[in-house]
Amino acid sequence: MNKFFTKKFSIIIFIFVPIMFLWHPNWLGFVGFQPYWPLFWLLPWSMINGSINGLILGLFLGLILDSLTLDNNFTQIPGLMLCGFWFGRIKLHSDFLVGHFRYGFICALGSFLCGTLYFSQILFKNFSDSTFLLFIPSIQNILAEVFLTGFFAPLICSQLFRIFKFSGRN
Amino acid sequence: MLNIRRISTSRWWSKKKNWILFIVFIFLVFVRISKGSIYKDFYYFISKPFWPGPYQKEIILKSIEQESLIKLNLLKNDNIRLREILSLQKSLDNDNISAAVISRKTGSWWRQIILNKGSKDGVEIGSTVIGPGGLLGRVNNTSLFTSSVILLTSPESKVGVWLDRTQINGLMIGLGDEYPSLILYSKDADIKVGDFVSSSPASTLFPPNIPIGIVQSIDKSSQAKKIAKISLLAKPQVIDWVQILRVKIE
Repeated sequence: MNKFFTKKFSIIIFIFVPIMFLWHPNWLGFVGFQPYWPLFWLLPWSMINGSINGLILGLFLGLILDSLTLDNNFTQIPGLMLCGFWFGRIKLHSDFLVGHFRYGFICALGSFLCGTLYFSQILFKNFSDSTFLLFIPSIQNILAEVFLTGFFAPLICSQLFRIFKFSGRN
Repeated sequence: MLNIRRISTSRWWSKKKNWILFIVFIFLVFVRISKGSIYKDFYYFISKPFWPGPYQKEIILKSIEQESLIKLNLLKNDNIRLREILSLQKSLDNDNISAAVISRKTGSWWRQIILNKGSKDGVEIGSTVIGPGGLLGRVNNTSLFTSSVILLTSPESKVGVWLDRTQINGLMIGLGDEYPSLILYSKDADIKVGDFVSSSPASTLFPPNIPIGIVQSIDKSSQAKKIAKISLLAKPQVIDWVQILRVKIE
């Protein structure tokens, strides 16, 4: 049982990604905004398992998260798949400190990519004369999410990376 | 013989890993099609110990009292108007369902709350959800134990509303922030900061006269229409208990 848990730790944490997404804890956010949780799991996992696995798990994460949100017209799948593929091509940095900050930078860029793709879908769907009303709140949403994701990533991703690597070795 | 064997083992279907991936993919597609019902029910059970307790009842009762006073005033005005014009929408009130908020997404793109009452308790898609203060949104999806509510602040939300002072209909659209926009399709529409906004008697989605919000600011840049920012009375980010109205709009 113990061996199972150490070996499948990445899968157990994978199940917790949608729960964090649903839970939306206010004390981990900032003025109602939250970091983009799926990227914290996807980055270390893709770095260890490569681009193709990152792409597939990006698809799986997207499918689950889409099913939990009500917006049937918009999807998170393209952003997560692209991020999964891109994260798989990133190698670990030798410098400990630079590596930590790199997690933050990469996750912030990934969050920006996902946010922009999601926003472009909203724009495409609601294209009318009142579209301009959406711009300011949407840009605020993207920037807040980018900031928070980049802020938390060094801490969470580095820990998850160590755990995944350790569980993979066992 | 050896060659045939080598080819057959290199096909994708002969690999166990690919089959597992395929089955997982099919399962996730099923989850997606069922709109996460399994996941939400799973979340219902694991979040049960953290649901809001009864100590909040007092605060909520106070808010409900304030809301009732506003509603009473609105209903009085509406009644007078209805006696004059007899061709307005009617609503039939049945019993309401009280539900606790078990998940809340009030920031970013996804503005929704999940309640601990589902189809098992008689919640139907399209039911109106109100909280202390007024209207919160509509039930958009139900699972056996939970129901998901799309909030007025969501970019997907478009609601017909009514300006109480001047009795003009307008469209309130969510923008993904805390303040939805009210669009009045007339440049001469009489609207002031502080005007009270409620659900429209002409709306086919909501029962009439549910308090929604107050006009916070007016954008004067538009020529053909008037756009105003609305401050909502019900704050979904702090509300823990809501009422699901079982109302039939005729």
